[in-house]
Amino acid sequence: MINIYQPKPVRVIKVTKESIDTHLIRLKFVSAADQKAFAYLPGQFVQIGFAGWGECPISIASSPTVASKYFELAIRDVGSLTHKLNQLKPGDTALVRGPFGNGFDADKFKDQELLVIGGGCGFVPLRPLIVDALAGRIKTKKLQIFYGCLNEETLLFKKQFAEWNRKAELGIILDRPSADWKGENGLITDLIKKREISPEAVVVMVGPPVMYKFALKELEKKGIKPENIWLSLERRMYCGLGVCQHCAFGPYYVCKDGPVFNYNQIKEIPYAL
Amino acid sequence: MKQQVNPQINCFVSKLLNVYFVYAPVRHGDKVFAREVKTPKEVDWSGQLTENPWKEFFLPHRERLFNISGGKLAPIKNQEPLVACLGMNILDLKALMLFDLVYANDISYQDRRKNIVFIGFSPDWPNDYKRLKVFSHNFEEDILEHINFDIFIAKIAGAKGKKETIKFYSGSSRGREILECCGISDFANIQFAGPISETGPDKRMLELSDKVGRSARHGLWNTLDEICLACGKCTIACPTCFCFDFQDKINPENSRRDRLQGNCFYNDFGKVAGGHRELDTVKKKIFFWYTHKFVRVPRDYEVPGCVGCGRCIRTCPVGIDIAKNTRILSKIKPVK
Repeated sequence: MINIYQPKPVRVIKVTKESIDTHLIRLKFVSAADQKAFAYLPGQFVQIGFAGWGECPISIASSPTVASKYFELAIRDVGSLTHKLNQLKPGDTALVRGPFGNGFDADKFKDQELLVIGGGCGFVPLRPLIVDALAGRIKTKKLQIFYGCLNEETLLFKKQFAEWNRKAELGIILDRPSADWKGENGLITDLIKKREISPEAVVVMVGPPVMYKFALKELEKKGIKPENIWLSLERRMYCGLGVCQHCAFGPYYVCKDGPVFNYNQIKEIPYAL
Repeated sequence: MKQQVNPQINCFVSKLLNVYFVYAPVRHGDKVFAREVKTPKEVDWSGQLTENPWKEFFLPHRERLFNISGGKLAPIKNQEPLVACLGMNILDLKALMLFDLVYANDISYQDRRKNIVFIGFSPDWPNDYKRLKVFSHNFEEDILEHINFDIFIAKIAGAKGKKETIKFYSGSSRGREILECCGISDFANIQFAGPISETGPDKRMLELSDKVGRSARHGLWNTLDEICLACGKCTIACPTCFCFDFQDKINPENSRRDRLQGNCFYNDFGKVAGGHRELDTVKKKIFFWYTHKFVRVPRDYEVPGCVGCGRCIRTCPVGIDIAKNTRILSKIKPVK
C-alpha cells in the first residue's frame, strides 16, 4: 500500500530573487521517474518542506508544459518554514508531496475574454495560466492581467512584464509605491473601476480574502456574472487529501474540492470568503 | 450488584486473553471506561456506553508516521500488537465504520487495524425481531449487515419464563476462525453489505445535512457562541472526530514526524503563518464542528458524522446538547 504522506526528494536547480521577500525556486525530483510522473494543472499546489520542519502548501508557479523537466515555486518568507525554504540554493534538497487540488479548468476559458486578477503573493498561481494563455495553449479571445501589490519591492515576475504587456493588457497598481513609480497608484479595485472590462469576461481571481470582498463588488458593477468568476482560496492544509479538516469550509475542502472554486458555488457558504 | 456472566462468554474472553491485548468496558462506580483487562471478570457486560470513545485504540492521540534520519522521512514499520476491542456498542461500531471509510487509504491506520479484532456486544437484543419490523428495524438486516465487526455477541432476552440466551455472530473470516478456535460453533454469519442501507443513504441524515448547511444565520449559533467555552472536550469525547495535525520533532535520538489528533476548538487549528485563523470566533468553531458532522461527512461518505452516542452532551461543562440543537435545526424549512 502506498504511503500517502510520503514526500519525495526534490533538488533545487535554480533560485531567483523575485521580490524583497520571495524567491522563485526551480525544482526537480531526484528520481527521474518521479519527475516524469509529475503532471499538474495551473492552480494546483504541492506540499513542500523538510524532515523536521513540517510542510506547507505552495502554489505551482510554472507552466505544466515544463513539468517533465522541472517545476517552480515562488515562496514568500512569512514563517519559519518559508524562511528556510527561501535560504535554498542550487543543489540543496527538499521534500515534496503532490500535486494537490483541482487547478484551473482551461476549457472554461476557451474562446473567452479572460481577465486574471492577482493580489500580492496570490498572483503566483496565475503565472502558469498567463504563460499558457500567451503561448496559445489556452485559446482565449482576449487576455487582461490585473496585478495589485503593495509596492515595487513586492512585485513578482517583473522580468515577464514586458512580454505580458506586449501580448496582453497588463495593468499593475501599487498601494504604497515609491516616489519613482510612474504607474498607477491605488488598490486593485481602482484598476477594475478604471479599465474597460466586458460583461461577458471570464474572471480568475487570486488574492487575500479582503481583496475578494471588494473586488467582487466592483466586478458585479461591471456586469460580470457570478458563474463567470473563478476564485482560488487559501487555507492551512496538512493532509492535502480532504481528511484532516484544517482547510474545510461548508461542505468543501480547499485542498481537495479547490483551491479553485466558481463564485456561484461558494458565494452563499458562510465563512468561505 | 455483582454481574452474572454467561459461562460461554467467560470462556470466550479467557481464550481471547491468551492471544490478544484485550480492551473492554470496565466499571468504575457508576461509570464505565474502555480499558485494558487482564481477566474476564473485569469486563462489564451491562452494555453501558463507555465514557471514553474507542478511537484511541485504532487512531492513537499521537502516532509516529515517519522516523527522521539524514534529512529523510523513513516510514515506520512497527509490528502492531494483536488487540481485541471487546464489548463495543453498536454506536461505537458505527463510528469505527466511519474511520474505516475515512482512513481507507492510510497505511498507518490500516497496519494497526488489521491486527485489531472488533467484538461488538448488545445486552438487550429483543427475542422477537418481527415485532421491531414495525419500526423498520431488523437488527440483523438493518444494523449488523451495515457495520464492521469481526464478532458480535448479543444477549437475547428470554421469552416469558425462559432464560436469556447468548447469540454469537461472525462478521469476517477472522471472526469465524476465532469463534471456532474458542469452541463456539453455533454462530450465525453476517455478510457485510456496505455502510449504506439498500434503500440508499438515510433520508433524515440528508435532510438534516441540507438544513445545517443553510443554518449559518440561525440564532442558535449566537446562543451557542455565548455559552460554549470552546474547551474542545466534546471533540475528545466524540467517537467520530477524526481531524489531525502533523508535528515534526527533532532531538538527537528520536526525531520523527507524528500525527496528532486535532481539535477544531483549539486556537492553533487552521492557523497560518502570520497568525491568521479562519476559526477566530467560538461561533465559527461550533458551526464548523456541526458542519463537519452533519454536512461534510454525509457528503463525503453518505453516512452520518454523528452516531448519536451522547458523549459530547455528558462531557460538555455548560450543557450543550447536540440532540436538542439538531432538533432545533431540523425545524428549518426545507428548500422547495
